[in-house]
Amino acid sequence: MSGTRVAVVGAGMTRFMRRAQETGKELAWEAARAALDSCQLTLADVDAVCLTSAPDAFDGVHMKGEYLSDGAGGFGKPFIRTYVGGGSGVFTAIQGWYTVASGMFDVALLVAEEKMSSTQPHPQGAFLTIFDSILERPLEPNLLWIFALEMNRYMTVYGLDKRDIAAVAVKNKRNAAGHPAALLGQADITVDDVLASEVLAWPVQRLDVSPISDGAVAVVVASEDVAKRITDRPVWIEGVGWNLDTTYWTNRDLVYPEYVENAARMAYDMAGVKEPRKEIHVAEPYDPFDYKELHHLEGLLLFDKGKAPEAARDGVLDRDGDLPSCPSGGLLGVGNPIAAAGLMKIAELFWQLRGEAGARQVPGTPERGVAQAWGDLMQVGTVVVMGTEGGPATTAAGLPVVQTPPYATGGHPLSDAGFRSAVGAVDHRLGARYAWDAGVAVGRFLDGLRAGRILGRECRRCERILVPPRMFCEQCFRETDAWIEVEHTGTVQTYSICHVSWDMQPLDPPEIPAVIAVDGSDGGFLHMLGEVDPDEVRIGMEVEAVWKPVGERIGSILDIAHFRPRGHA
Amino acid sequence: MWEKIARPDEVRRWPGGFPVAHRYTPGVAGEAFLTALRDRGVILGTRCERCAYTYVPARLFCERCFAELDAGVELGPGGTLISFTIGFAGLEGEPLDRPVTLGLVRLDGADAVLLHHVLDPGDEPLEIGERVEVVLRPSGERTGSILDIEGFALAERADE
Repeated sequence: MSGTRVAVVGAGMTRFMRRAQETGKELAWEAARAALDSCQLTLADVDAVCLTSAPDAFDGVHMKGEYLSDGAGGFGKPFIRTYVGGGSGVFTAIQGWYTVASGMFDVALLVAEEKMSSTQPHPQGAFLTIFDSILERPLEPNLLWIFALEMNRYMTVYGLDKRDIAAVAVKNKRNAAGHPAALLGQADITVDDVLASEVLAWPVQRLDVSPISDGAVAVVVASEDVAKRITDRPVWIEGVGWNLDTTYWTNRDLVYPEYVENAARMAYDMAGVKEPRKEIHVAEPYDPFDYKELHHLEGLLLFDKGKAPEAARDGVLDRDGDLPSCPSGGLLGVGNPIAAAGLMKIAELFWQLRGEAGARQVPGTPERGVAQAWGDLMQVGTVVVMGTEGGPATTAAGLPVVQTPPYATGGHPLSDAGFRSAVGAVDHRLGARYAWDAGVAVGRFLDGLRAGRILGRECRRCERILVPPRMFCEQCFRETDAWIEVEHTGTVQTYSICHVSWDMQPLDPPEIPAVIAVDGSDGGFLHMLGEVDPDEVRIGMEVEAVWKPVGERIGSILDIAHFRPRGHA
Repeated sequence: MWEKIARPDEVRRWPGGFPVAHRYTPGVAGEAFLTALRDRGVILGTRCERCAYTYVPARLFCERCFAELDAGVELGPGGTLISFTIGFAGLEGEPLDRPVTLGLVRLDGADAVLLHHVLDPGDEPLEIGERVEVVLRPSGERTGSILDIEGFALAERADE
């Protein structure tokens, strides 16, 4: 790999909080200042600033990058915000790497911030707009659907025991008990606690999910020569990788995150890692849900497909296990201010590899770690490999490393009452209205639905029938060839029993979203199951479309009322 | 080839909104600024001695050198008009019955400028560089909002 070598030389973070008194820019400043203090630099030493933050809808600030720039140290400097959804925090380390590796800058300050508490009544509402406006949003999807659908299929295909998955939530919340910035550390939590928690969208329960949070993290990276002047214990960024799967999430392999494998292979190749299971000593995979950590450990090639859950059960992933995973406590334990949580994983590897993780320190002398995050429309993998190259676990003077963790834990939690009564608080409802054009392919698809037909597009090169249809094949990048009518029947690829609405209001009875592979097509699409007892639903169940009466059809995904088991009386 | 769409006026659009609301809290420095405004009727800024720069409204940190700023300074009430604009159209482009005049003002003692309404500008044209003075709402009516400031009155004309 060409370019100068790049090292992490400092890191800092705020506490992760349900609600912070600080504004987003104040949080960013707390973290950025702590990171600079940790390596005895000032803002004047910083040549460029890389910022990330997830959707603007959380903070409720349009062009959040510009809004946060002063707190991130961007005043008068080359500054840019990047964004790949949940993958953003780890991606910022990749951005920092190429910013310095290019040779243009010697020191870059990387800042990740999220303030989700501004969104009312619940941040889940802000996710509604990530779904397809025409084909999915009329179904009023909750973001949890995607995870519940993926988790159900993962469990079913590999025959997994939910207890083994819950072991991840237990491990991370216990690990977080040793983290001074953690929101949900709990030393005595058990698998039974997780299994007894409220069912949100089966199989996802309350304690399977990371909490919405406010917080910020910052990291300082430097070019090789400068890094060696700043510290005698730089932690090198040895490899970076990132990769996207198709944006048609219902068409994806929901069992295995191939995009994570692609990103991991890119990062391992660059780092010269040939046998990740031997050469990676500590991992910080992305864990917004407990099953996701397992999914990602498999994508990172650290376990065989379907085998990570038993590793969780057997303690392999514990802090003192063979492959410590999320020793920080992860998103499930420390908290999930989305972009900040990803960069927290880079900071944790920095502290772990320098032997500075205090109560969370992984035993032995880990020399190489991998951090990973995932996001966008749940299809991006971002991977960073970091290592000390057998570098000193002792200081230059030959003394063993005994150092107080350098990170500050700034930030003040704001209580519910404090939030309601804060001086000067302003309530605002975004009044923007939209009219989304269906476009060529989906317009024709909707015409078909009104006429009681399900239409797909054929790509003759990759021999797929695409449903929902598109005028171009995103794999072959050519025009698709012809319209094809597909069957009204299909197979349930995965489903969830969902007890909450899109904005987290209770639903009784629950609804059953499902990904249905329509017979005669190569894709699946999102719809609802009906006329079926939730206990009777199975992956692989054969279903058929139930149409609204002709006079009630308007050219909408809702012209199909729902799908029901085939042969229904 | 692309197929021709038969009825372009039908089923081509799907209406919707962005159904989220936000509650913005003003943060550490914002809360100090708004509390001082409400309770003491003063405009609070913060000064960075190292950068010799005074921010208003008060900020927690100096964006130039990253120093923490904790000593509040009271600014104004007099100031200088740095720029202004007169708005004749509302948010949706509708004509306004009464034009709105907005001014950027550097309060005495401050380096940063503050945006607010210029009150009763009258028929005389405004001039950049004119002296203005902050007008507050009566103490009993202040709630801890930027609207606790009614606006800037033109200093000379306020004497008339």
